[in-house]
Order: sequence, then C-alpha cells, then structure tokens
Amino acid sequence: MAHDEGTSRRKFLTAAGAAAATASVAGCTGGGGGQGTTTATDTTTAETTAESTETTEESGGGGGEFAVTITQGQMPTTLDPQNHRSTPTDNVVLHAYEGLLGRDRKGKIVQKLATKYERQEPGRVRFTIREGVTFHNGDQLTPEDVAFSINRIVKENVGIASPQSDQLAGVTGAKVVDGQRAVDVMSDGVNPVVFSLFATYCDVMQKSWVQERSKSEIAKQMNGTGPFKLEEYQSDVKVEFSNYQDYWREPAAVTSLTFRAAKESSTRVNQLLEGETDVIVNVPPQDISRVKSTGSTRLSAAPSTRIIYNAMKYNVEPFSSPKFRRAMNHAVDLQSIIKNVLSNFADPTGQPTLEGFFGYNSDVNPFPHDKSKAEKLVEESGHAGASITLHTPVGRYLKDVEIAQAVANQIDQLSNVSCSVKQREFATLAGELTDGKLETAPNFYLIGWGNATFDASQTIIPLLTTDGALTSYSNDKVDSMMEQAQNQGNKSKRDKTLQEVNKILHDQAPWIFLNRQYSVYGVQNRVQWKARRDERIDAYAMAPADGQ
Amino acid sequence: MSMGRFLLKRSAQGVLVVWGVVTVVFGLRYITPGNPVTFVAPLDASQELRRQIATELGLNRPFYVQYFDYLWNLLQGDMGYSYIRGVEASGLIFARLPATLELAVAASIVAVVISIPLGVISATRRHEPADYAATSFSLVGISTPNFWLGIMLVLILSVQFGLFPTSRRGIGFLPAVAMLFTEFEFSGLVTWLAHITLPAITLGTYFTALITRLTRSGMLDELGKPYVRSSRAKGLPETLVRYKHALRNTLIPVITVLGLQLGTLIGGAVITEAVFAWPGLGTLLINAINARDWPLIQGSLIVIGTGFVVINIFVDALYAYINPQVVH
Repeated sequence: MAHDEGTSRRKFLTAAGAAAATASVAGCTGGGGGQGTTTATDTTTAETTAESTETTEESGGGGGEFAVTITQGQMPTTLDPQNHRSTPTDNVVLHAYEGLLGRDRKGKIVQKLATKYERQEPGRVRFTIREGVTFHNGDQLTPEDVAFSINRIVKENVGIASPQSDQLAGVTGAKVVDGQRAVDVMSDGVNPVVFSLFATYCDVMQKSWVQERSKSEIAKQMNGTGPFKLEEYQSDVKVEFSNYQDYWREPAAVTSLTFRAAKESSTRVNQLLEGETDVIVNVPPQDISRVKSTGSTRLSAAPSTRIIYNAMKYNVEPFSSPKFRRAMNHAVDLQSIIKNVLSNFADPTGQPTLEGFFGYNSDVNPFPHDKSKAEKLVEESGHAGASITLHTPVGRYLKDVEIAQAVANQIDQLSNVSCSVKQREFATLAGELTDGKLETAPNFYLIGWGNATFDASQTIIPLLTTDGALTSYSNDKVDSMMEQAQNQGNKSKRDKTLQEVNKILHDQAPWIFLNRQYSVYGVQNRVQWKARRDERIDAYAMAPADGQ
Repeated sequence: MSMGRFLLKRSAQGVLVVWGVVTVVFGLRYITPGNPVTFVAPLDASQELRRQIATELGLNRPFYVQYFDYLWNLLQGDMGYSYIRGVEASGLIFARLPATLELAVAASIVAVVISIPLGVISATRRHEPADYAATSFSLVGISTPNFWLGIMLVLILSVQFGLFPTSRRGIGFLPAVAMLFTEFEFSGLVTWLAHITLPAITLGTYFTALITRLTRSGMLDELGKPYVRSSRAKGLPETLVRYKHALRNTLIPVITVLGLQLGTLIGGAVITEAVFAWPGLGTLLINAINARDWPLIQGSLIVIGTGFVVINIFVDALYAYINPQVVH
C-alpha cells in the first residue's frame, strides 16, 4: 500500500515526531519532564491526518486506479492451486486460476471455462471449453490443458499426489474429445454430484507450463486464466496481483490486489480501523461494535457452509441410546448460545444439511430447549447419573471453546447427567478422528465441517455413514439410502431421498446439532462488496463505492 | 591457554551441541502426537490417499533411515521440503530470519540504551527520587505481559493517535539501508523505523526492566567493594571510579544475560510477532507446529539452537576479553 512505500517529507516528519514522542515517553518514565510529550504528539497527529487523507485519494479515485488489500488469518501455504486444502490458500489462488464451472454469491452454479456441460451416459459427462480464453503468459486455453488439470488431481502418476483427489470423488479421469473443443470426464458410477464438484473444485492450469516447472517453482509462480495475474509473491508476507487486461470477461475494477495475513483477530481489526487494509476476515464478536462505530468501515456477514456439531459415538454408552442423544439436544439452549456467545452471527441447525443445500429438509426443525423433557428422556434411556466429557478443539472455529463450555454447562444443569469440557489441541483431536478407526476417537466431541459443494452427501457420507472417513455413526438404513442417492441420476428423486435421510438423522440425533457458522468480514466503506456463503473473497466482484 | 585455543575449544563444543540439538529435535517427532498426513490430506481423505501421501513425504521409511538421511542432507545444507507448502524448508526459514533478527536486535538496543544508564543512575543515587522512579519502572516492566503491552501500544499510539502503523514489517532493514546508499532516499529507513518501533518496545520492555535491575544491583555491589574504596582513597576522580572500574565489572554478568536473552528473543518473540503480524521465525515455527510440518519445525529449531550456540561462544569471547582470567 501507499502507506509503506510512499516517499514523502511527511513520512519522515511523522516518524521523527513519533521517535521524539517515544523518547519523551521513555524520558517521562525515567523521571524526566513531561512537557515535550504533548508538543511532539500534537505535531505528529496533524501530519498523519494529512497523510491518510492523501492515501485514500490515491487508492480510491484518480485515473481509475483502485487498489484493494485483503487481510486473512493466514497466508497461502502455496500458489499451486491443486496441492493444498486450505480456504485461505483458495481465496488467493482463485484470483489467478479458474475452474470449468463456478458459483455465484448465493451458491448457484455458473459457467466459467466451460460453456456447456451435459451428461453423455452414466459415468461420463462432457464439458465444452470456452473459446478465446488466454493464460497470463498469452497462450490460448486448450481442451488438453483442461484434461491434464483434471488428471493431475485424480491420477497418481500425473505430477503430484494431490490432496484434492477426494474433492473430485468418483472421477476417474478425463480425455479430450476428438475433433471437438470438449473434454469428457469419466466417473465410476452415476456420480450425481459431478457438476457440483466441478463448480467448487478443479482449477485449470496450463499443461506445458506445469510440465516445464518443478514442484517448488509451481508453488511460487502463477499462470492461470483468472481476472488477476501475479505481480509479486513474498512467501508469508504478501501476494500482489494486478488486473489481467486480456481477461475473457471485462477486466476487474480492482487494478491492484494485495493479500496479507495477520493471525491475531485484534491485529486485523486494528489494521482495518487504521485504513491499512480494506477487507478483513473473521471479525470476532467482541470487536463487532468497534468496526461498526467508525464512520469508514462496516460489517458484511453471510451464513457460511460450515456446521458446528457435537458428535456422540453411536456404539458406546450412554450415547448408544437414541433417547439419551435426543435428551442432549433438548438440554442445549441453542438460541441462547447464538445470542450470547456468537452475537447472533449464527443460525440454529437441526439436521446435518444446511439450509439452501441440495437435500435440505425444510420440515425438520431444530430441537427446542426443554430441560424437563431432557431429564425425562435421560431417565427413559436408562442412563440417569451418566457422567460425560466433551472434547473440543481450541481456536479452530469461531468461539469453539466458549460454545463447548456453554453446551457442557447446560447439560450439567440436568439433574441426572453431569458434563465437563476437555480442551484439546486441534492437531491431536483431528489425528484421532481421521485415523480410520472409530475406537480411537473420543466418545463426545465438538468439531466443525465445511461443505462447499452445497450438496447433503458431502456431509452425510464422510461423517454419518458406516464407512465414512470421520464417522461417529452407523445405521443400515442411512447407509443404503445414501448409496441409493449416489446412484440416482434423477434430481428430484435424489432430493427426496436425501431429505428423508436428513429426517432420520434428526430423529436419531447422532449429533447435538449446534450452529451454522457465519463468515463475518470487516470492510472499508470505499469498497463495494458483499460476503459470500462459501467463504470465498472474490475481488472480481469488488468496485469503488459511489462517490468515492 | 591462549585466546585462539580457547575459542577453538568452545567452537568444537558448539558443534557437538548442535548435533545434539539436531538429534533431539529429530527424536521429537516420534513422541509428538499427531500425524503430519492428517494436515496434508483433507480430513475426510480415504486411507488409500493417506498412504499415498505418507509415501510421497517419505514417512513410511524406518526411523534410522530417515535420521541418517536427514543428517546427511543437513550437512549439505538441505533441510528438506515443507510438507504443507512443498517448497524448500531452508528457503522459508532463512527468508524469515532477517525479520526476527531485526526485531531481536532492535529490542536489545532499546533495552541496552535505556536500562544500563537507568541502572547506573539508580545505583549511584540510591534512595533518591530517580532511584525510586527507575525501580518502579522496572517492576512495572517485569510484570507487564507482552501481548497486553503490545495491544495497548497499538490501541493508543496507532489507532488513537495514528503515530505508527498498527502492524506488519514495511521493509527489511538491509533493503532500507541499500535504498539510502543507492538512491539517497531516507524514506525506506523511516518506514522501517516506523514499523519496528512498537514491536521492539513491546519485546524489549521486559528485557529493559530485567537489565535495569541487574545493573543496579551489580553496580551497588561493586561500589561497596574494597577496590572502589581504595581507588577513592587514592584520590581518583569519582567518574573514573564509577564508570571505568565499577561499571566495567558490573557489565560482565550483564553481558552474559544480554547474550542469553538475545537467544531467547529469537526463539521466543512469538507473541509479539503474532500481535504485530511480524513475519518472523516465531510465527513460522508456531504455524509449522500446529500443522506438524516437521521439516520446517526441525529446520527452525536447528537454526534457533545454532543461534544460541553461536551467541554463547560470542559471549564467552567477549567475557574473556573483558576479564582475561576466564581464559585460564
């Protein structure tokens, strides 16, 4: 930003004044006089105010220049769009790389590099590739590039063992269709969610560009088809883009885009308030009023695709009893947690699928808070006097520990169950959950699950079917219905099946259904932008605010 | 023993210590819970994909093979590839090192510049207001938590008064100096100074307080010794007695502490780095630990450990220079 590299006399004066102020403060504490402090502070304040006005003018108006800085909690781990699984990395690489399909702000599938997509036969779909798309190095996008990109993810022998191969679940490979500008993608089985997957995953890279580079070079350079091209990358410090003039749509309104990171949420808020950055992620509830109260910043929030829940292992007492599990749901006052812990930036849930997702059952409501009903159900389950421990990660999800403590506290208030919290480091807890063995996982734990495909199956299959990678539950009926759903090409039938599964899961209550997490951003008023549901920050959608 | 032999002996010992550090750090991964594959692979990855990734990272080989492989590569300057980022660990670590060194050195300078004069004043004006002020300052300094001080400084000086940037490192020191010499441009250095001031004060405060107390008590101790009395009796000027003789002896333990603290600052600036989004080794290390990115963890710890060893040797040499008796 102009703030740093600007070269001016003012800058010098500011710092000199600051140094003087510091010295006098130090002098003060060391027993010196205090008079100098006041003078120094006054001068510097005046100088700085003048300077920040200048900065705003520079970035907002003048000659169509529109520079935007986005500060996340973490920097991208890599610039290789196919060799990572982290949202902060996605947010950065997706400005330079694009997929065949994409999503709009609300989650609806839209065309990107494919102009047509259709099913050919069970297990084979065809994408027609857009003409006139160029990579940042000037080369045309070809169907070979697309097929190579898909194969690089799903096939072991093409480049890397991509951690994203499971994101294109069921896809076995891709090949160019002879004589046409199209690519066929093969799957084992019907793969009803295949377009949904491609709308969220699979960024297209240029075959020759990838093949000419080492793994480590691909992690540091970029060559995509997206609206922004890489200008400068300082690992862990910043990623700087400029808008790509030959983009196949209109060039972006943002002319220069910088990504930075600050792990501490209060640091991000301070940067925003000082005008050092334009968009910050995850404004914590306690800082919401600070962001709202200044005239130049605002909040933008959207329900995310992440659900927070407490899994109860189905095969250990007392959780083996559905009555006991329902009792736990009734014991929790979800509304109060959402209001008091999360400042209303969350929605209550009553099934594993979120509202707006394919397969969501709108007839299913969250469990109402009912202490006496909970106590009665515990009695009926035969587990009165049970003592349980809730394992929770620390700092992984918004207010995770506070949510866990509130849940445990409310369960503990039942006359016939006692509950405590055990704080865990996420790494260890995740290790226990993902080792493929149900026995090693804790009996009762809080965890969050993000599902960017907007399809119920991507939550239910891994988390609630017998062979799911992170499962805590097993029910033959759910298993067979999910298998049925995964082989149903007919959309409305599939929707119905998934809705039924959601109803069963609500009634069986394998989880304490908690909240849907919100993504809460702090934004400078000079930037026009609205938060998205899938946690992505799309700078292409940003524009200067009116009158700026 | 001559000074040269003394240094040689210390260096040889240092190499052994570094080897020990490497071994212990390497052993850590076997007693730390949490499989790195969990972090590279998605949470819902199949066991097949997990196995594939483990093979790619070389984690399925026996312990001793991995150990000797690592040692051999390390001797050639290769710290391996970061599991998560897929780039050379050494590149990441050495890119972060300047930021941490700058911060540690700046904090030490803040500390030395303030603490030694403060300690001396407080010792020579014992039970006078200046002494009370200095001791209260050091008491407050020692009891103020780093992160709180950092956040307060930002809230007051940056957000309220706009005197300093809230966080980040605007420019490196060396590029700033280079700018000065090639373009005769001060702005780089000014930006650097503006960005580093608050973190350096935050990190240096505890340290300042500590050294002030140490200097004060050391100085009081020295001033009460017979050689000071006899110097005074001989009629030496008081300034000479205080600053040439007493202060010089006081500084011996101070230098040791300074050296050791510099090492601690390099490794332990984590909180300050987090508050100020300072791109240093501390944050890199914490992120690596959270993700079980072993090549990065090992590399960072080895660099920090080696830093400690080098500083220790340097302190020993300085110590020997100030007090030649040490060599023997």
